[in-house]
Amino acid sequence: MRLPLGQVLCLGKAAFPKQVFTVSRSAAFRENPICAVGGTLLSCSRHYQSQPTHGIGRFRHLAPKIVKKRKERVQMKEINPGTDYEYGDLNIEIIGYDMCLVEGYARFVHKLCQNLSVRVIGSYALPTKTTEVMVVQEVGNKMYMDAVLTTHQRVVQVRSLSATFAPILLEIMQSNQPEGVRLSVKEYTESDFKIRLKTRTELEDLMSQLSN
Amino acid sequence: MAAPILGLVETWRRRGALWLPGGNMAAPMPGIMAAPTRASWRLLGALCLQRPAIVSAALSPMEEVVARLMQQLETERSRLSDHEVRHQAEEEQLRHPKDRGDDLASSSVVLARDLEEVWEDRFQKAELSPRLTDADKNNDRTSLNRKLDSNLTLLVKQKVGDQELWLLPQMEWQSGETLRNTAERALVSFLGNRIQAKFLGNAPCGLYKYKYPRAISTEDSMGAKVFFFKALLQSSHLSKEESKADCVWVTKSEMEDYLKPEYLKQISRFVVDL
Repeated sequence: MRLPLGQVLCLGKAAFPKQVFTVSRSAAFRENPICAVGGTLLSCSRHYQSQPTHGIGRFRHLAPKIVKKRKERVQMKEINPGTDYEYGDLNIEIIGYDMCLVEGYARFVHKLCQNLSVRVIGSYALPTKTTEVMVVQEVGNKMYMDAVLTTHQRVVQVRSLSATFAPILLEIMQSNQPEGVRLSVKEYTESDFKIRLKTRTELEDLMSQLSN
Repeated sequence: MAAPILGLVETWRRRGALWLPGGNMAAPMPGIMAAPTRASWRLLGALCLQRPAIVSAALSPMEEVVARLMQQLETERSRLSDHEVRHQAEEEQLRHPKDRGDDLASSSVVLARDLEEVWEDRFQKAELSPRLTDADKNNDRTSLNRKLDSNLTLLVKQKVGDQELWLLPQMEWQSGETLRNTAERALVSFLGNRIQAKFLGNAPCGLYKYKYPRAISTEDSMGAKVFFFKALLQSSHLSKEESKADCVWVTKSEMEDYLKPEYLKQISRFVVDL
């Protein structure tokens, strides 16, 4: 317990106060804070850390220790429609050729779900697929490249959508769909999770070599 | 309708739990139906089949001005695409040919400007379908090809009691099936087997309840409750022979010509017209 200078803890023993008084009379008191009652610092020449409020904001030593795990994200649990008549995890997929439209629509769907208090768990993009359109020439049999199309895909994940509200939400989303954008609502499965991860070809090669 | 009954129906609808009735309505919800008489209502499942808009709605004058302005802004601020960069490089080379021997004008490489000419040609030859179709001009309400920018709902003429009325196709519920199955039966009976419609969900979107006039109402059937299910039409082509009754495809504003006011009031709560 810290006390301001000059005061002494009354310990009920007469010998003790005398000791403290003698020490306090020394001129080097300020430089020698060993006598500061309850001080956590020993042999330090700084005096500001003996302030009563020193360490007033410390809380990390009180909080539970979190160990950061380097695991990949685990599969989220699935709730099937039960007595609550709710869907589990649903993937709302938005696919199209024009990235501005696809992203704008994905933003619209995300905001719509938030405003209608539908719980959105996540929102991610799948890799873009490039398609080359080859057209057969009018004269001759050779094909030449006509166009390069990029297919963009955005996913908004939604959880526990109530079965009574789902048709309304679907209708709003469908009527606000822009041209050239495809909307698809599916249940979230393991394969959807695996598609986002890259395969490690060297590892697989080595494993197959091991097994052979 | 008596006020307490309406209140009961409202609370029941908000619960949203029961559209799989198992005979007696009072049993699954003990707290609500406190009426002493075992009044039972006839249950009907109805179908609200909509053809969604094919073409996006026309922009209002203000929206058009803003769209044009935004387009202009974006074009001015944008960078050159790959094709444009290539075009510029080739133009530069054509204007000042470097004496290296390969002359672009005489080589057989396809230039960017040639590609542009081909595309321009193709664009000029392409015909855009009109927004106002023939059915619009004739006001042929039985065809699906009119009013391409709004939702069209199916209305049929059915015999209810002793009157022939225009309403959404409905069928009586039979025990052992869900109300959604009733709606599907109604779809098949009125539009044939090969129709492709996607139901939006298992929950009904609306309810219409009416009491029989005193002459017909008995202890067993006080009135009828109609549950509406929404479905979206997938294909926009219907052969005329499939329809077995008088059916008409109308927008929300045109429904007033066909439906009774009470019925229309309840229906317009769930029919959406953007």
